[in-house]
Amino acid sequence: MPLLEINDLTLEFGAVSESKRALDGVSLSIESGETMCLVGESGSGKSLTALSIAKLVPTPPARYVRGSILLEGRDVLTLPDRELHRLRGGLVSFVFQDPGASLNPVMPVGRQVMEVLELHRPKAATRAEVCRLLALVGIASPQERASSYPHQLSGGMQQRVMIAMALASNPKLLVADEPTTALDVTIQAQIMELLADLKQRLGMSILLITHNLGVAAALADRIVVMYAGQVVEMAPALALLSDPRHPYTRALMESAPELGVSTARLKAIPGSVPRLGAFPSGCRFHPRCSIAAPECASRDPSLEQWPDGRKVRCPFARKGDAV
Amino acid sequence: MRPILEIENLSVRYTIGGGLLNGPANEVRAVEDVSFSIMPGETIGLVGESGCGKTSLGRAIVGLQRASSGVIRFAGETLDFGSNRQRVTSGLQMIFQNPYASLNPRMTVEQIVGEAIQIHRLAGNAADRREAVVRLLVSVGLDAQHAQRYPHEFSGGQRQRIGIARALAVKPRLLVCDEPVSALDVSVQAQIVNLLRDLQEAESLAYLFIAHDLGVVRHLSHRVLVMYLGRVVETGSSDQVCLTPRHPYTKALISAVPSLLPTHKTRVVLKGELPSPLNPPAGCPFHPRCPIAEARCRTELPLPREVGASHWVACHLAHRP
Ligand SMILES: Nc1ncnc2c1ncn2[C@@H]1O[C@H](COP(=O)(O)OP(=O)(O)OP(=O)(O)O)[C@@H](O)[C@H]1O
Ligand SMILES: Nc1ncnc2c1ncn2[C@@H]1O[C@H](COP(=O)(O)OP(=O)(O)OP(=O)(O)O)[C@@H](O)[C@H]1O
Ligand code: SF4
Ligand SMILES: [Mg+2]
Ligand SMILES: [Mg+2]
Repeated sequence: MPLLEINDLTLEFGAVSESKRALDGVSLSIESGETMCLVGESGSGKSLTALSIAKLVPTPPARYVRGSILLEGRDVLTLPDRELHRLRGGLVSFVFQDPGASLNPVMPVGRQVMEVLELHRPKAATRAEVCRLLALVGIASPQERASSYPHQLSGGMQQRVMIAMALASNPKLLVADEPTTALDVTIQAQIMELLADLKQRLGMSILLITHNLGVAAALADRIVVMYAGQVVEMAPALALLSDPRHPYTRALMESAPELGVSTARLKAIPGSVPRLGAFPSGCRFHPRCSIAAPECASRDPSLEQWPDGRKVRCPFARKGDAV
Repeated sequence: MRPILEIENLSVRYTIGGGLLNGPANEVRAVEDVSFSIMPGETIGLVGESGCGKTSLGRAIVGLQRASSGVIRFAGETLDFGSNRQRVTSGLQMIFQNPYASLNPRMTVEQIVGEAIQIHRLAGNAADRREAVVRLLVSVGLDAQHAQRYPHEFSGGQRQRIGIARALAVKPRLLVCDEPVSALDVSVQAQIVNLLRDLQEAESLAYLFIAHDLGVVRHLSHRVLVMYLGRVVETGSSDQVCLTPRHPYTKALISAVPSLLPTHKTRVVLKGELPSPLNPPAGCPFHPRCPIAEARCRTELPLPREVGASHWVACHLAHRP
């Protein structure tokens, strides 16, 4: 049984009469010990998918229309509130993009780690355990650092504290939503190395959200690409990066300038991401797609599983086509 | 041909604190003794960690921030912060990182773009001005219909186009672009980067392009400047800096860039973080994090020296392979 299994998750905003569908039939699963990356442009529904895992999207305004989220076999969407509270920051914990906004500015960081311990592992709520966690995420002299306030730490160190708090409950699944987006490349590299190391040592599952394909390449076992509320491609990381199949995945990879390669012009994807409530008919990517056929404008492609195991939402992206 | 911009020994310092409540005043050394020049039609990429002084340098160049010492010469004329400031800086424009915050939400696109034309009296009457605005919008890939709309009606990429149109309105010869694509999705990033390239070819514009994405910088720049703690530590052609970096900091920076396909390169992960510009370390500013630092690095400031044709590195050990 996979640790997490999301089936046909469908989420809408707005009144039923004029509802805007933000997630449309999202299905994915994560095995224990696996690192899954969710990539896609802004507004594609990555965060909503991730937050749903602990039912953290406020309802209303959001409404779950269909689907289930099974964590160790139990459906999160139907859990009573008390159990949801235990789950959050317990079995699954979260790390967000902006550590400055998530830490309490008037409380020493060690105390903040301690609070998570008191809630989820009261027996381990000791100063020694706080220091062990801070050391685990690579904070030097944890004894002294525990009494620092967030503003006394740099962005990279704040993000380490956030990760220490997320680890305090011994989660089985760590959800990291753009954990390095606000950081420099050199600090980003440190955090990525930390996540890779923790994954090895603790055997946790990780769901990592990023719009940086390079970050996904460094950490993912599998990659899921989302566009306008749908999964458009899902495959093992190496297969997806070395041989992207969906036209959107290809366009995304081609538009990212690579350091070692110099080209005259970058291949931009024409147009922009459609707004919520204004998704095009047929294939949602068709107005920007370079190989779109006339029928793409009217026929809704389904996510098909190929013989090699990957899933692709495009009838024209056949295996073996010339790249 | 002479450079469009010459910078000599430029320093920017901020005073913070002072007064009864804040204790003694402190000096932030944001930019220290920086010299370089830009030719017409050339793009210089400026990279370095957050807080190393990139924005401060850019703001000093366009006259938004007073330099503490040093000389800024634009088209041969020295910017003295006095009477000639507006005349000199009208050839210099800046576009900003955040396309959401840098446009006035209560002005239409026509007002935003037209404002600069009016201030610098570049159009005779309202009709001429309107025509100039439409021409500018078209040149950045928008159209006449967009003129009457407000910023919130546009996507991030479109707003950045509006920012560029506004900057182009006064016919600048140098654009300082401060992380113009960092807040945009990769797909839209590529559109803006291509636009900047096209504009450069059409108008022979020069760019100082500030970014932390080395891929974008390499793609767009003729030469690259690497800053660390207020100082330039390496300069060279885009290929020299990105493919054969010689400063240990540049090496770490380049190796930290995540790549799409698995590579066999070894990643140099730096320990520790950028020290404070409030009390920069003695000797080489990079020595506390440098993997190869020696005794001399802790006491003696390395001066830039040429390690290849127009490839300068400020490191005592730069001659080592
Ligand atoms: N509370 C809300 N009310 C209305 N719309 C919302 C709400 N939260 C999210 N949305 C919309 O749902 C869509 C998906 O949002 P989501 O945050 O999941 O995107 P994302 O893929 O994480 O993007 P980003 O890369 O920008 O973080 C967006 O169009 C967003 O505007
Ligand atoms: N107005 C100011 N007053 C005091 N200190 C300042 C001011 N502006 C910038 N600084 C400081 O000067 C240093 C350089 O800042 P600057 O904004 O130039 O860096 P940067 O390289 O542009 O960084 P980033 O990549 O984060 O934009 C930093 O230590 C910053 O805190
Ligand atoms: S289904 Fe058609 S429009 Fe959609 S991605 Fe495939 S080819 Fe393009
Ligand atoms: Mg998000
Ligand atoms: Mg800056």
